[in-house]
Amino acid sequence: MEIIIEEVTRGHKLLGRHKFLTNKVSIGRGYQNDIILADPHVCPEHVIIEYVNEQWQVLDQQSVNGTFLNETKQTADQHIIHSGDIIQLGKSKIRVIFPSHPVEQSISFTPFEGLIDFVKQPLVLALNISFFAFVTGVMFYLNQAADVNISQYLVRAVGATIMFALWPGLVALISVLTKNDARIVAQLAISFVLFNLMWLSDVLENIIEFNVSSNWSIGWITSILPVVLAFALFWFNSYVGFQVSEKRRLVLASSLTALLFGGSFLVQLSNKPEFNYRPNYDATVMVPAFRFAPSSSIEKFARDSSTLFAKTENTIHTDK
Amino acid sequence: MKSIFVCLLLCVSQISAAAEQAEQIFKQLAPSLYQIRLIDKASGEKSSIGSGFQISADGLIATNYHVVSGFANYPNKYRIEYLDNQGNKAPLRLMSVDVINDLAIVKRTQTHDMPYFNIATQTPIKGEQLYSLGNPHDLGMIVVPGTYNGLKIESFNDRIHFTGSINPGMSGGPVVNAQADVVGINVATSGNQMGFLVPHDKLVALYQAFQQHPPKNIKQQITHQLHENQAKLVSTLLKSQWQLKQLGPAMVPIIQAPFIRCWGESNADKPDAIALAVVANCALEEDTYIHSHFDTDTVEMEFKYLKSKKLSDLKFYHIYQQHISRAGPGNKASKEDVTEYQCHHDLVNAGADKITTKSIFCTRAYKKFPNLFDVLYIGASVDKDDQALVSHFTLSGVTEKSAMAFTRKFMESISWK
Repeated sequence: MEIIIEEVTRGHKLLGRHKFLTNKVSIGRGYQNDIILADPHVCPEHVIIEYVNEQWQVLDQQSVNGTFLNETKQTADQHIIHSGDIIQLGKSKIRVIFPSHPVEQSISFTPFEGLIDFVKQPLVLALNISFFAFVTGVMFYLNQAADVNISQYLVRAVGATIMFALWPGLVALISVLTKNDARIVAQLAISFVLFNLMWLSDVLENIIEFNVSSNWSIGWITSILPVVLAFALFWFNSYVGFQVSEKRRLVLASSLTALLFGGSFLVQLSNKPEFNYRPNYDATVMVPAFRFAPSSSIEKFARDSSTLFAKTENTIHTDK
Repeated sequence: MKSIFVCLLLCVSQISAAAEQAEQIFKQLAPSLYQIRLIDKASGEKSSIGSGFQISADGLIATNYHVVSGFANYPNKYRIEYLDNQGNKAPLRLMSVDVINDLAIVKRTQTHDMPYFNIATQTPIKGEQLYSLGNPHDLGMIVVPGTYNGLKIESFNDRIHFTGSINPGMSGGPVVNAQADVVGINVATSGNQMGFLVPHDKLVALYQAFQQHPPKNIKQQITHQLHENQAKLVSTLLKSQWQLKQLGPAMVPIIQAPFIRCWGESNADKPDAIALAVVANCALEEDTYIHSHFDTDTVEMEFKYLKSKKLSDLKFYHIYQQHISRAGPGNKASKEDVTEYQCHHDLVNAGADKITTKSIFCTRAYKKFPNLFDVLYIGASVDKDDQALVSHFTLSGVTEKSAMAFTRKFMESISWK
């Protein structure tokens, strides 16, 4: 009879798989066994799985630590095996599978595979990382009051790039620790693409704030974009790094995004003063080349501003 | 020879007469002078003091509004009492106020008619000797002689310029001429023997208004006075000449009114500045005090021209944005007095090659004085790559109508040359 015996981790992840065409499989630490385990809590002759009376059965060989069934304290000795059962011996686990065991449907490649292959290419990756470093350098330059040495810009840019590279590095590390492929290059590639998209969304946000009057409340669009990009980042990190179900990936990405933005939102809220004596207004200005929107007349501006008076008076009544 | 001798004799007698007069005045008027005290009810101790003087036989006493402003705004927290020259204390009732001229009328109870100060019928002559009475630093009644120098030219609301050492604590006390008639009320000092008085005609007006229509509600009376003052102030500003002056390559309006004072500066002398900055600002030098954390009727305007010196346009605009991000109100207010600001912004073109700006307008409403607001405006030019003009003003205690009339005229007056 054919039988498949898998060595699995405590989290039931596959370590090794053996297929036998036999009626008897011996498992233990001794080298005479069909499956040789290294766990010191396993006896040299620990358990035998035997095909008897058209059924596979577990026979414990009077082992010191015993043999247990499916995570329970119930002994597996004499147990009739069902396909998929997990037997615990010592600190190790084995799973028994029959050839008739059903397998899940095949998953076709998504367009994401193609995307990841594209950004993984050395040239594309190098371009993305350089672009990120360049933008960081430019941001530093813009914020300096006086001109500084160009090497300072370089140091900042490279430093920031390395710091941001720690995130895909961390994800890859966690992948490895959970018995997945690290895929560090893919993680770096996809992360830097999204970091660059975040810079671009910042610029887009500024352009919109500069051009659009406060009559249009589209501010929410520009604040949603970073959230969407962060979600995409976390989603791709888990797509590349972990073998989890689609649903789980969505939950994971959503939770991380909520944590990131929820956390920073809470911090902002806690720092807000109880009463603001100063006006809170949008002061975004950009070089004239970025001014696309038509301007209003002074009269229109005056009319729009007049509506503020009634608005502020209403807050007196709502406060009371 | 004889004439010179006679002159000398006359001069000497005048000087000694002045000294005698001061003594006489003090003796004669002491019973009608009071220390006015604001008592914090919770602790039972005085929280502020000033001076006051009786103006009618039936117990009306005049003082400054700011001496009793605590009670006027928080009547449950304070009570007013007087201390007379005999050391007696008794409560006072607040009857009427004039916040614009910093005056108040309070009333004492009395069993019989009492002596009071006469208020003069004519203004003094420039150089005339006057005597300021009051209770400085809680030290007891004193007389401070000084000189009448006419009305302060740069005031919007009339104030007399008095050279004499008025001290804190003398606020609300009378200033009398040689005939012991009141010609002014102590209101402020700017140190070094420079003091300011409210002219007596303001007190006369307040007293007469009180006799004819005593106010039912002090808050309503203050609201009415603020409304009137802001209407007068803004319409005077709008009717004054708005002279266009050049600031860099821009033309900005400088209001030519005696009560608006302007100052300017630039950093042209600093060689390592990254951008040239030229600033002109104009402001009304007085305001209306409502209480210790709240003043109003302020006007300020600022114009700033920036020019990049060897900066890239991107960096210039980045720094420019920081210059316009932190505008604030021109007056003090607490959260019980005003709401938070609400703002509107837009790109505005003043028409046909004048100037294109990102304009921001903010306003906040007064909680206790209906239909009055503080407003703030910033206009930041966005049509030149390496230069910028920032135009800014704040007004406080104005109605919507006044605010918008001023805003329109302000925005229309600004342009590139």
